[in-house]
Amino acid sequence: MKIKKLFAKAEAFLNSDKRKRKEKKKCLRHILKKLRKYEDKLNVNLQNETDKDVIDKLNRKIALVHAQRKKGVALLEELRERKKSD
Amino acid sequence: MFRKIFLPSILLVLAYGFWISPDFKEISAGVAIFLFGMLSLEEGFKAFTGGLLENLLHRTTDKLWKSLGFGIITTTIMQSSSLVSVITISFLSAGLISLAAGIGIIFGANLGTTTGAWLVAGFGLKVKISAYAMPMIVFGVILIFQKSKELKGIGYVLTGLGFLFLGIHHMKEGFDAFKDSIDLKAYAIPGYPGVFLFTLLGLIATVVMQSSHATLVLIITALAAQQITYENALALAIGANIGTTVTAVLGAISANVEGKRLAGAHLIFNVVTAAVAVAMIYQLTHIVDVVSGWLGIANDNYTLKLAVFHTIFNGTGVLVMTPFINPMVKFLEDILKPRIRTTEQPRYLNDASIDFAETAINAVRKETLHLYDNAFDIIAGGLRLQPQLIRSDAPVEEIIKPSRRPTPIDIDAQYRQNVKGLYSEIIHFISKAQSSMTPGQTEELFALRSAGRGIVEAIKDIERLQKNLDHYMNSPNPSIREEYESIRLQLVSVLRGLAVVRDQGGDSVAILSLDELKVEVDESDTLLNGAVDSLIRKNLITAEMATSLMNDSSYAYSAMENLINMGEVLFSTSDINIRDAERSLALEEDEIDELLLQSERRQP
Repeated sequence: MKIKKLFAKAEAFLNSDKRKRKEKKKCLRHILKKLRKYEDKLNVNLQNETDKDVIDKLNRKIALVHAQRKKGVALLEELRERKKSD
Repeated sequence: MFRKIFLPSILLVLAYGFWISPDFKEISAGVAIFLFGMLSLEEGFKAFTGGLLENLLHRTTDKLWKSLGFGIITTTIMQSSSLVSVITISFLSAGLISLAAGIGIIFGANLGTTTGAWLVAGFGLKVKISAYAMPMIVFGVILIFQKSKELKGIGYVLTGLGFLFLGIHHMKEGFDAFKDSIDLKAYAIPGYPGVFLFTLLGLIATVVMQSSHATLVLIITALAAQQITYENALALAIGANIGTTVTAVLGAISANVEGKRLAGAHLIFNVVTAAVAVAMIYQLTHIVDVVSGWLGIANDNYTLKLAVFHTIFNGTGVLVMTPFINPMVKFLEDILKPRIRTTEQPRYLNDASIDFAETAINAVRKETLHLYDNAFDIIAGGLRLQPQLIRSDAPVEEIIKPSRRPTPIDIDAQYRQNVKGLYSEIIHFISKAQSSMTPGQTEELFALRSAGRGIVEAIKDIERLQKNLDHYMNSPNPSIREEYESIRLQLVSVLRGLAVVRDQGGDSVAILSLDELKVEVDESDTLLNGAVDSLIRKNLITAEMATSLMNDSSYAYSAMENLINMGEVLFSTSDINIRDAERSLALEEDEIDELLLQSERRQP
């Protein structure tokens, strides 16, 4: 059992495609977390804002960050699907 | 002249030696196989320098003890202080570490290299290592033929170790057989004359073989076969330590000033250490005897005692010289000054970093940022603005208004003077560096190259825009004046937005916020097109003014697009995986259009 595990680990290390995918997932999650925090912060700012121009700007920023996050979640899903199909 | 006759003389002496003594032939073949093993080992470790080693080096050089530790550990693992030196020089040239950190690594490498003596004396001579060599070479060569870069690297390392073992075996066999025909010990010279002579011999042997490691193995095997005396072996080891710096100094002749300073530090360290060792050789021998006693090494086990000596001698050097690192840095910076740099000369590109993918990519990134800084001044001049005003906090409208009066600036001449040459150097460096890279790294290099092209194209766009800008900025027609003013304003906003993102030091959220700039540019372009239509309909501008405005707005749009794309590549963090993830999250043009359409629909 132990040898099997060791082989699996060695294979995981040497199979660079798998490794790259894993690394990409890790980086995506890291950035998505940061983007979510940023979006929350923008939403808080929006609630406290009264100036119409600033509100418009904030709304646009939020829409952009949301679109980026949506894209990231779809990418993560795609990576998961690819892992399943392997 | 000396160089011309050096190689033929060495070959002739060797050929004569092979002719008269088959044992000498075996020893020399052992040295050659050993050196070939070192080359293969270096090749193997280079496969792993595509990130891991460089990342480690980058993170472990902020404190002196860390640099020392890095030098000791990597040299112990790789058994090659020269590879560690080469990587350190490439890092220094690319401006990624300080000279003090580089010196720390070199000091550490000197201590790390002493583990080689322990391995050979403690393990290599007791076990029949040639038995391990053959399977290692066979497995290694099979792995070298594999496609995967990692497997290839492991293959080279295994083959390298195999050849090292085989080389040691042949040296050992050669000396054992040699012992029966000639007794070299008869030529031993006691006292200080012997110390000086054998130090010189060790120096020459290392310069010829270009490896102190090989000299040391040769000394240990000769000592084991009792072909040299213990005292003379110690002197040879001291000579080998000086010899290795000759190799570094020769290598640094073609390096830049940082490489020369590091080689200078290496030379000072080894010469001072050797001088101390020669002066105190009898005291050191006594210390070696005491330490060997503590370690349980037999009194007549001279090979292990040589390893102890080598460690104590280099360790003493590190202890004596470490407090003087900062004065040494100052001294080297004073005597080795860089050529006066002009803005158009490359600052980070250096041939030393070409072999190390991540370092080469970092050098290209830094140099392209330098290119952007040069271009920034030209673009600011083209917009009739002071670069420092664009970078300041003053409201954009306020800095634009007072600077309408054109002060002539020849963009083309400035481009030729400050950008063209530098850009060519970057392109040339990229073409040389890409040969030894993975597809991912090559892609990164191409992205950087296209960022450079974007910078150059932005300058060209501003040059095309400049003539009409100068003309209409002072036009009596307020409508056309206003439109050109808004083009300027948008360009300055983008330049400032880019400066803000750059200041965030590669934060992913900041990089992705460049999409916001893209949206702003798209929106203002749509607004400007609508405004042109309306101005023509209302007869506020002539048809000639309208065509100029349309052409110029497309030049400005192209310049801004090029600059934002450049920012996405250049300002991003140095971690290749994060950069990759950021790029996959950034919105494409059609996604931005879709978003703009949605926001228009939402508006009442």
